[in-house]
Amino acid sequence: MTAVRCVDLSKTYRQGDQEIRALDHVSIDIDAGDFVCLSAPSGGGKTTLLNAIGGLDRPDSGEIYIAGERIDTLSKAELAELRLHRIGFVFQAYNLIPVLTARENVEFVMQVQGVGPAERRRQAEQILEEVGLEGMGERRPAEMSGGQQQRVAVARAIVSKPALVLADEPTANLDSTTSDELIDLFTRLNRHHGTTFIIATHDRRVMGYARRLVKMLDGRIVDDIRQHAA
Amino acid sequence: MSGVLRISSALAWRNLWRNRRRTAIMLAAISVGAWAMIFLTALTQGMVNEMIRDGLSVLPGHVQVHHPDYRDDPSIANLIPVADGELEDRFDAAGFQDWSTRIRVPAVISSERETRGVTLLGIDPARERNFTFVDLETLDGRFLDGTEDRGIVIGRKLADTLETRTGKRVVVMSQDPDNELADRGFRVIGVYRANLPSYEEQFVLIGKRTAQQFLNVDDRVTEAIAIGDDFREVEPVLQEVRALMHGDPVTVNAWWDLDTYLGAMLPMMDGFVLVWVIVIFLALSFGLVNTLVMSVFERVREIGVMLALGMRPSAIRWQIVVESMLLLVFGLVIGNTLSFASTYAIRDGIDVSIVAEGMEMMGASARLVPDLTVDNVVLANVVVLVLGFFASLSPAWRASRYDPIEAITTVQ
Amino acid sequence: MTLRLAWRNLWRQPRRTLLTVGAMVFSNVLLIFLISMQVGMYGLMIDNGLKFSTGHLQVQAPTYIDEPKMRLTVPAAAALARELRGIDGLEASARGVAFALAASDERTYGVSVVGVEPLHEPSVSSLPGLINAGRYLEEDDAAEIVVGAVLAKNLKLTVGDELTLLGSGLDGSFAAAVVTVAGIFESSIPDLDRGFSAIPLGFFQETFFMGDAGHLVVVTAGSIEQVEEAAVEVGERLPDGVVLHDWDALEPALRQSIQADLGSSFFLYFVLVVLVAFGVLNTQLMSVLERTREFGIVLALGLAPGRVGRLVLAESALMGLLGMALGALFGGLIVSYLSINGFTYPGMEEMSAQFNLPASIHPRVTLVSLFAGPLMVLVFAVLASIWPALRLRRLEPVVAMRAAV
Repeated sequence: MTAVRCVDLSKTYRQGDQEIRALDHVSIDIDAGDFVCLSAPSGGGKTTLLNAIGGLDRPDSGEIYIAGERIDTLSKAELAELRLHRIGFVFQAYNLIPVLTARENVEFVMQVQGVGPAERRRQAEQILEEVGLEGMGERRPAEMSGGQQQRVAVARAIVSKPALVLADEPTANLDSTTSDELIDLFTRLNRHHGTTFIIATHDRRVMGYARRLVKMLDGRIVDDIRQHAA
Repeated sequence: MSGVLRISSALAWRNLWRNRRRTAIMLAAISVGAWAMIFLTALTQGMVNEMIRDGLSVLPGHVQVHHPDYRDDPSIANLIPVADGELEDRFDAAGFQDWSTRIRVPAVISSERETRGVTLLGIDPARERNFTFVDLETLDGRFLDGTEDRGIVIGRKLADTLETRTGKRVVVMSQDPDNELADRGFRVIGVYRANLPSYEEQFVLIGKRTAQQFLNVDDRVTEAIAIGDDFREVEPVLQEVRALMHGDPVTVNAWWDLDTYLGAMLPMMDGFVLVWVIVIFLALSFGLVNTLVMSVFERVREIGVMLALGMRPSAIRWQIVVESMLLLVFGLVIGNTLSFASTYAIRDGIDVSIVAEGMEMMGASARLVPDLTVDNVVLANVVVLVLGFFASLSPAWRASRYDPIEAITTVQ
Repeated sequence: MTLRLAWRNLWRQPRRTLLTVGAMVFSNVLLIFLISMQVGMYGLMIDNGLKFSTGHLQVQAPTYIDEPKMRLTVPAAAALARELRGIDGLEASARGVAFALAASDERTYGVSVVGVEPLHEPSVSSLPGLINAGRYLEEDDAAEIVVGAVLAKNLKLTVGDELTLLGSGLDGSFAAAVVTVAGIFESSIPDLDRGFSAIPLGFFQETFFMGDAGHLVVVTAGSIEQVEEAAVEVGERLPDGVVLHDWDALEPALRQSIQADLGSSFFLYFVLVVLVAFGVLNTQLMSVLERTREFGIVLALGLAPGRVGRLVLAESALMGLLGMALGALFGGLIVSYLSINGFTYPGMEEMSAQFNLPASIHPRVTLVSLFAGPLMVLVFAVLASIWPALRLRRLEPVVAMRAAV
């Protein structure tokens, strides 16, 4: 089954006088349950592609389907709904909400979804345990290390069991040990829950874990390799 | 409340305490503003009440009946064309809080030393004890003891000018309905004090029957008055008196027609309260909007994350508006408490006698007693909340319109 | 240098600066409007309160001011008035004051009867100019009277009708005269229109057995500012047994009602200024917190903490000046417009009548009314930023540079 299908996506930015082709006729299909790495140098278009798939950004032309449903024509509110229920995000700079504790950050999405308090708490604690943050639920982001914060962010992304998790440079701010732990966590989740992962990165270690490695340059896909994950 | 609203509200609450210093300053500003709104309103309301009460004590009466020509020509010739006995029966049966019939005419009073123009009141002392402007406690001598009392009660200032006192004789001159000069000697039986010194110069009181004999009007009066429970709620009394006098050629007026200065006070007061509250709010609103804008600006990235995670823009708006409303509600609670406390502290009034004559020029007495009315407190609070809601819409709208990608990548 | 830096810093957060300056402009415009209204109103209150009869100065018998009694007289009043008129720039007129019962064919009322010098009264009082029927008294009039419009209506009198005055003379004996109505005035001041009348001083002295005495000599100077100087000159020429009072003593209610009004307005102004100061405090505190790192760097480079503090004060002062300039501009425009066209609001007519004022007020644009309020705002704005500025003194450069941005 196809989790994500992109058909002929193009997107141009203006930066000062310069036109930047972030996406140049990109087409790609990603299977459900796959573990994909998008790799490209800075400005290569990987973040733009990720944002377009996540419904955060609209392409100038082309079509995007998530689980067979076309999303590039949806309204802002419909896109918000889509992200809320079916897509998990992990950002480069963790981006936790500073006034909420780790557990509350994880519960945030469920709360917006309207899940009851008891159920929310149970799931949040379970997922925090799964990402190795047992007993840290009541800490605020400022009281945690970068790796811990990023694990909270991952927990937040997967807690509502989205079919698709999008991660943009998740290891950029982490040391190598912590990065390994995080990737380990990703692959575990991928295997246990069958969650599709699309990770934009230029971290070689992360690429090593990918089952499919998509390389981009100047807004185009230049290489698409199936590999056996380490 | 749904989950989204609850989390937005919880976030609003926590964000409020994120920058304690800023919140504290804003709270202080709102508190001072709310205090100033309510406290000054209470003082002004107190002054207005006092002015109206004093003014009504001379008029007196919330509703008055006169001969149609009396107000233009307040002469003994313009008597109510209904016998006093008949008037008394009608008013008695109606069951007003207070009522009276009286004679009020201009007159000249002379001692052996001086002559002054005054207003002569012929009253039924038993009826008027309840609402007279004469301060019965500090009265030197005695008050009139019946409608046929042969003595006269005059004010302290007039007594000084006339160089007379209790027990001495004065001569009162006026006219009878045929413009024949009426003059008669009276013994001063009482010298009174009043809240406003000008009354002490203007009004002299004698018994109603005595006045009727003196002015040669048999069983007739110039005015009949009725008093209700509250000077603000005079309409029912007015209707009742109109019904009582139905068919007789008389005019029936409420107090605001009789004294247009006093009549203008109440609407002026309401206008003042509203303008004052809005002015203070506007001065506050700049700070409020500024605080919200800063608070939103600091959180651009978080707001982006929430949007990216699928929170609807409306929930972001709600969050900012709730934050603003919480700020206002707390400020109002403190401000209201402060104003209740300060009003309570001066509940017996503050002495402004250094400017007593200036206050009297406005018709107010030298003691300022605050009056905290529910209406005014509610008005101030509602105005702040409603306008505060609208003022927070612009920062809230801005916050909800962020583009999540840009917001997340914003360097802070 | 500090100023240029301060100015640039203000525009790093234009929205915040504009909101803060906006609060200042709002308050300044309001203050300018209110203060100009007050200055205009007080001027009117004083002028109107004095011009009808009080004048700027009065010569009286010593205790007459407390108890205006018939027997407390000024001897040879007309001669004294003549002497005072000899002083450059002063006008003076003698008066006698009595109460009498005025009886027409149909009605009788108590009135105040004032004996005036017909030739000189118009230079100390505006009443002679307010005749709306007949004429004012003339030099060789005797048994002629001028009465207020309401009194004339109440007595059912018109010009040419006769009126009987009954009262007591100086010695307490019965005084009576029959006079003819020469004119009727309308001042719009209820007390005057209802109970005031004027007859020639000579006839007054004759009727009330006054000899050559009067009760007052009313003096006016060129303007209210010259009264003090005039009082000195008049004082030098006074005979024994009389005293001189200025308008303040004659009409204490006037100054006091101005003071009472000033008192409540100061409360209002103070609250406005304090609210603006809170806004400035908030803005400056935030801006200092935001720039902690930047300040750390300049401190590390060796800039004295005092200079950094001054920078913050300079920013507030600049905002204050900007608020002052814009406030004075807009406030000045509004007030100038109103000073030509007048300002009125519902209910003001009744209020104004109580204070002898016209129904619309023309605010007065003066330096004081334009800049007193904004200056107050400026001072408080700078005061409010002292705290944020002082915080900088405690800043440790190394800690500051590490501060999260």
